[in-house]
Amino acid sequence: MAQPLLAVDGIEVRRGMNVVLKDFNLTLKSGEVLALVGENGAGKSTLLEACARLLPLEQGRILHADVVVADHEGRRRPSPLVLGLALQKNGMMGSEFVAEHLATAMSMSGHSVDPLPFLRAFSLEHRANDLVAHLSQGQARKVAVLAALLPAFASKQPGLVLLDEPAAGMDEQSVSILCEWIAQLRILGHAVMICTHDQRIATCATTHIDVSTSKTTETTPNEPTSKSDTNSQPVKAISPAVFGWKMQWRTLAWLNHNAVASLLTLGILLSFGDLLQGLEDMQRYGFLLAPAFAAGLCGEAMVQASREERTNAWWRAVANANPHSGMLPLALGCLLTLLSSLSFSYAIEPTAIIVGGLLTFLTWHTIRLLHEATNRLARPRAVFVGLLTPTLILPYALLLDLLSR
Amino acid sequence: MKQKVGEGLLFFGFVGIASTLLLALLWAPSVSIDAFESPAAQRIFYWHVPAAWAAFIAFGALFIGSLGWLFKRSELMWRLHTAGAEAGLATGLMTVWSGCVWGAAEWGTPWDWTDVRLNTFGLLTLLAIYLVLGRASQPDGVETRDTFAAFGLYGFVLVPITYVATRIWSIRHPGPVVGTGDEGSINGDMGLVLLLGAISFTVFIIGHMMNSMHVTSLEQRLERLQATMDKVI
Repeated sequence: MAQPLLAVDGIEVRRGMNVVLKDFNLTLKSGEVLALVGENGAGKSTLLEACARLLPLEQGRILHADVVVADHEGRRRPSPLVLGLALQKNGMMGSEFVAEHLATAMSMSGHSVDPLPFLRAFSLEHRANDLVAHLSQGQARKVAVLAALLPAFASKQPGLVLLDEPAAGMDEQSVSILCEWIAQLRILGHAVMICTHDQRIATCATTHIDVSTSKTTETTPNEPTSKSDTNSQPVKAISPAVFGWKMQWRTLAWLNHNAVASLLTLGILLSFGDLLQGLEDMQRYGFLLAPAFAAGLCGEAMVQASREERTNAWWRAVANANPHSGMLPLALGCLLTLLSSLSFSYAIEPTAIIVGGLLTFLTWHTIRLLHEATNRLARPRAVFVGLLTPTLILPYALLLDLLSR
Repeated sequence: MKQKVGEGLLFFGFVGIASTLLLALLWAPSVSIDAFESPAAQRIFYWHVPAAWAAFIAFGALFIGSLGWLFKRSELMWRLHTAGAEAGLATGLMTVWSGCVWGAAEWGTPWDWTDVRLNTFGLLTLLAIYLVLGRASQPDGVETRDTFAAFGLYGFVLVPITYVATRIWSIRHPGPVVGTGDEGSINGDMGLVLLLGAISFTVFIIGHMMNSMHVTSLEQRLERLQATMDKVI
């Protein structure tokens, strides 16, 4: 008997003030392809995103391979399955390279296959080393869909693939190839859930559910014309911190977002000139650590960057965290405090440098968490998170008080 | 009926606050010139302390409303959250502004970044601004309510810290004068004016929150009617 990979148990999901799904149940087993159909607003994408643990549940629970991964009490656990996900938005940043994004997606499964045959089939082989930002809409969509399929092709275990309108913007030939790959995944024992209005994609499914009426129809899909022949190699998963660090260095976002404000702070303080002589200890530490503190107060550039094409949602679903810069703020804080220590006292002050690094690290990530807390809002950029940053000034003042004793 | 009660409380609160101000400026005894740098500015105390008391009531309502929304999904509790944030903003600004004026006269500086009570109270007020402006910027929905209710809970952590701050970190701010259990330095007449201020601000803030909850309920009713019209048209 086929193993259930996904179980939706009596869920209720709200969007805005509307209850979109109420007491909804379904089971998806290994080797099944489920097409979610229904009119606009019926709740197809809501159901798919709830299955990816991206939406909170008012009632019920979601199980992946019999493990509760989300429930109505707000508990959220990592999925034990290899999860392939293509949301309606592409879930990737313009600064990622095509092959790099596919490698990142595959690394989540712990295995990797050569992506070139897949890119070739989608007429994208020559774009493997291009930035995602340089692709057309249709090409970017193909990469996003491949990022959902390849982890399953690479995986040794049955996985769950969630596709939201995968054929949007694709040409006829690419849709046929996509149908062939979905059929191959079915034969390999993976479970696939697809939200679609496209009849060509719907024919790949073994079951159709009309989300608005909950009516289920069993169908016989086409068999694959060829057998999947992929040779996967074990790889290490790329963490959100490694990804964030990589993006920071590629885009130099830290320079624009944090370091400029910090260097301006240092410049303004240095312009006090003679006033800097004869400062009390607390004031001197305040001046010395101000650039590191300013760098931290500017927060995490990756929060804004990862809102592009819902990259943050994709990472939260497949890697359980948003991309962030990891230890970069620690290094930057140490460097900036070294610079300010050389500027103010023409000496290297190891204690201040370490404290400066920790100060930037803690401030940076606290501001990041404050920003990430608004990610669920309809208009996260419209809220005034900056109003909450003074929360950190009091600890800063108390730290200076402590250092000066 | 509730609306009339709310408006009545608001009116009596205003009258009481105005009376407190008059008594504080014209009748309350002067303090010793040895005890204060600026004895005349000490009269701000009759506004500052009751306003802070009312702010704590408002932030308490915000906390209960946030909890009620997150755990019970209660519309009434969401209205209480909204009312608590708006009332907290009003009374928080009254407290911080009057404190700055008094601080400038008494300490020689309107703000001290190392004074824990001052800063935590300032943060509570900023949080109230954040909640009020944030709610205005978002469409109503569970996402908006969950996010702001979570921030409301975060803010309430600051309330006990603010109250006990001067007991733990006594730097510049005077210690608590209400609820300490000892005689303190407040004499009978001073205590009377302070009590009138505290009662007036309490009545005012309750009236303010009742009115605010009524306005939010009208907003919600309007949204429901608009949604019905969307379906009909």
